Amino acid sequence: MRMLDKVRLRLRSLFRRPNVEFELETELRFHLDQLIEENISSGMPPEEARRAAQRMIGGIAQCKEECRDMLRVNFVEDLVQDVRYTIRSLAKSPGFTGVVVATLALGIGANIAIFTIVHGVLLRPLDYPKPDQLMYLTAEAPAIGGTGSALSAPEYIEFRQMNRSFAAVGAYSTGGAAYTTGEVNLTTGDRPLRMRSISVDAHLLKALSIQPGQGRFFSDEETARWTGTLPPPIAILSHELWRTAFGQRPLVGQKVEIEGRPHEIVGIMPPGADVMDNHTQVWLPLWLHPNMARQREAHVLYVIARLKDGVTAEVAQTELSAFLENWGDRVGTTDHVPSNRPLRSVDHTIQLRALQDAIVGNASRPIWVLQAAVGLVLLIVCANLANLVMARAGSRRREFVLRIALGASRGRLLRQSVTEGAVMSVAGGILGLWLASAGVRALIRAYPTSIPRPSEITINLPVLLVALGLSTGTALLFGFVALGRGRTSSMAAALKEGARGSSGAWRHYARRGLVIAQVAFAVMLVIGTGLLVQTVYNLTRIDAGFDRSRLVTFSMTLPMANSEPEARAQAYQRVLDRLRSLPGVLGTAAMSGLPPNRTPDAIATLIGNYTSDDGRPFAIIDYYQFVMGDYFGTMGIPIVAGRGFERTDTASQGKVAIVNETLAKRIWKGQNPIGHRLRPPGGSFGASDDVWHTVIGVAKDVRQRGVERPAGTELYVSLDQHGVAPPSMNVVMRTTLPPAALSGTIQRVVREVDAAVPVVRLRDMDSVFAESIRRPRLLAQLLGAFAGLALLLAAIGTYGVLSYMVTERRREIGIRVALGATRSHVLTQIMKQGLQVTALGVTIGLAGALAVNRLIASLLFGVQPTDIVTIAFVIATITAVAVVASWLPAWRASRLDPNVALRDE
Amino acid sequence: MAKPTDLVQGTLDLLILKTILLEPKHGWAIAKRIQQVSQEALQIQQGSLYPALHRLEQQAWIKAEWRPTETGRMAKFYTLTRSGRKQLERELANWARLSTAINIVVQEA
Repeated sequence: MRMLDKVRLRLRSLFRRPNVEFELETELRFHLDQLIEENISSGMPPEEARRAAQRMIGGIAQCKEECRDMLRVNFVEDLVQDVRYTIRSLAKSPGFTGVVVATLALGIGANIAIFTIVHGVLLRPLDYPKPDQLMYLTAEAPAIGGTGSALSAPEYIEFRQMNRSFAAVGAYSTGGAAYTTGEVNLTTGDRPLRMRSISVDAHLLKALSIQPGQGRFFSDEETARWTGTLPPPIAILSHELWRTAFGQRPLVGQKVEIEGRPHEIVGIMPPGADVMDNHTQVWLPLWLHPNMARQREAHVLYVIARLKDGVTAEVAQTELSAFLENWGDRVGTTDHVPSNRPLRSVDHTIQLRALQDAIVGNASRPIWVLQAAVGLVLLIVCANLANLVMARAGSRRREFVLRIALGASRGRLLRQSVTEGAVMSVAGGILGLWLASAGVRALIRAYPTSIPRPSEITINLPVLLVALGLSTGTALLFGFVALGRGRTSSMAAALKEGARGSSGAWRHYARRGLVIAQVAFAVMLVIGTGLLVQTVYNLTRIDAGFDRSRLVTFSMTLPMANSEPEARAQAYQRVLDRLRSLPGVLGTAAMSGLPPNRTPDAIATLIGNYTSDDGRPFAIIDYYQFVMGDYFGTMGIPIVAGRGFERTDTASQGKVAIVNETLAKRIWKGQNPIGHRLRPPGGSFGASDDVWHTVIGVAKDVRQRGVERPAGTELYVSLDQHGVAPPSMNVVMRTTLPPAALSGTIQRVVREVDAAVPVVRLRDMDSVFAESIRRPRLLAQLLGAFAGLALLLAAIGTYGVLSYMVTERRREIGIRVALGATRSHVLTQIMKQGLQVTALGVTIGLAGALAVNRLIASLLFGVQPTDIVTIAFVIATITAVAVVASWLPAWRASRLDPNVALRDE
Repeated sequence: MAKPTDLVQGTLDLLILKTILLEPKHGWAIAKRIQQVSQEALQIQQGSLYPALHRLEQQAWIKAEWRPTETGRMAKFYTLTRSGRKQLERELANWARLSTAINIVVQEA
């Protein structure tokens, strides 16, 4: 009750100010009048009575002021006054204010932008109910470096039945398992589209705990009975696809043509629903070919599981470890089961981790590196600002001292300094927030696929809180600097020396220390950037195994449901022939998987006269490459032994194959592979049965899954020889024309062959490469920008300190020059000071960089964190920057006219 | 003439609270009443009285309202609130303790 009264009274005294003032006035006037009356009644003449009364009660104004203090309004009044005064005085020095606010905005903006990404990608929970309960299972085969692989269908079903920790265990596939490759042709009107798809079972949707936006989800019946030759023709569309491609018209229960077959749309997903950042547009029922569903070697299903309420991830992990001890015994087979000790190349184990970690994957380290980088930038910003504020405080010393002499309390002055800092920090913070939101939007637009969970990256409450924290922190820093100033020497001394704006020794050291810190931080950032730039350079220079210049590629899919393998082969042949006849096209070929960024096949392949580590007659081959036309010639892949495919092979009865160097080495271990035989499953490329192929040549290794990864084992089969083709093929053309010039012609050629087939991913091979290294490139670019900013700020800092020093030492320099010091002597002396500071900063920065560069070692390629060339280059760059920054003030000092300098005093 | 600073610290509050215990009074009447009761020994200056009144009001120990005086002029009358009454009891107890203690010290010997 009393609290409420108090609050009410305070508010009243603040906001009903005129009323309160009037009452105060009236009350005091009443008192005065009473006093006068008393004086008169005691016999004084009225005039004298009034004077006596006034004398007696002292100054009315002072009394009012004291009353106002009691009313607690002065504090707020002072604050308003401070802010007003600050804005006026800042407006008077627009250069200083501009630099401070702009620097702050850049520093805070960069931090908010990166924190927005950190928060959206790494910290913010996934957009499912109880996201912590979601776990992700993968197969790991450490002996052959296979990581994050899918599980086989039998393993998935066994795990679902064995476990007691999970409420639901579901599976999905984006390729291999069903007839899709993570993409489907979808026809709306007369426009064929290529859409991102995923095949899910009913368990998965249950595990994710999402509800249909409209209609229904798949039933267990529809996704678990893997019979027949094709999945049931039903589909669920994403809310976004429904909105953009179908204009939100009622669609549930209607038919839409997907992969050449009419599919019934049974439901629409809620907005934003997705799995594993797949950007899914079309959800299909999970379906496996009955043969594949039985194969323990076919790792085709990705598994997501939801923990039961109250069960921890550790419990689930313990349970899984127990299964891995004797999986074979539990399921009654020893054939290719997961185990705890995957020692041989054919062995694998199963790993369990949080779904969020799995989604973010290896993007988390670069993002933290960026956060650290912008943290350094902010430190440099703060150091720079502290320096600027100190310089300003130095030049305003006289003003402050004068105000103290006139009666301002030190606390009052300190408060004004803090207010000044706060006003600039708030301005910088608001501007920074704006910069960050614009920056993040631009970043996501420019690199839509480089950052996981882009839809989660928004500026929201936690981000705003961080922004507020940063602004407050910098404001406090200003206050601290001002506090340091407040402690200096006596007033009289300050007034005297204030005339020349000179300063105490501690301030010299402090300012130099700040510059050293700036240089050190800048060195760390620039070294990190240098290493990453070198990484990107190395990545772009990797020989992927083929000649990527003047290659144009696109992909097309003839849906399996409405085309026969033979018809597809003929259709592709027609496309290749027509494109080959175009002027400017030197060669055409088609292939099933486009290097250097394709998904692995991992197909168990029977090999003649071969026994694997675990005594089997077959080996898992990482990549199958089904090719048409003059593949090796068009791609520029050298044949290192034997020969390539030739036209005469087409008609010949004996089927032939070509292996890559890695496969030759791994299987035949130094022997000549030519003449050996292997038997790829015909189902993998559309042939009706499995036949033996004879190896006729060895091709140079081609990087298939990322340019930075070593090549896996690869088998080439000529589709020309078989007269069949799988549904999806990538066409390549060796041509002197750019993709844009060919686009119209390619569209026309494909339309003539099949009007329902869209041309997708038409681009040149250089773009394919750029895409494959987009993440390190983005990281290097962002770090480069931050390092540039850091360098600039460090340069400004060095320049600022030196030019301030020159100003302070004008007199001394003037005397030296008058006594005969040469200009070059003065110049070198000042420059030496600047370079000394830089040298110290560089040394500290190098030590710091060596200490933390281990953290980015995993992001580097072909360069060591201690790379001497990079370090030398960085030292050279920083020194060059320091020379420039020191030269200007030094030159100015050397031009000093002793007459002018000495007369100034 | 005893200046308010000569008063033992905090006793002005006590005097004010005690003076308006029985009936609401305006500032002038409070000063006069204290002067009378103390037989002219305590003269309360306007410069300390009004800040004290406003402080007590902000503490919600007293509340103010505008009323006409006997002469018909409007004046600000201060009334003791319930929490003010409690505060007065506390201050009285304090005062008793303090004055006893001081008496013991000064009357020793």
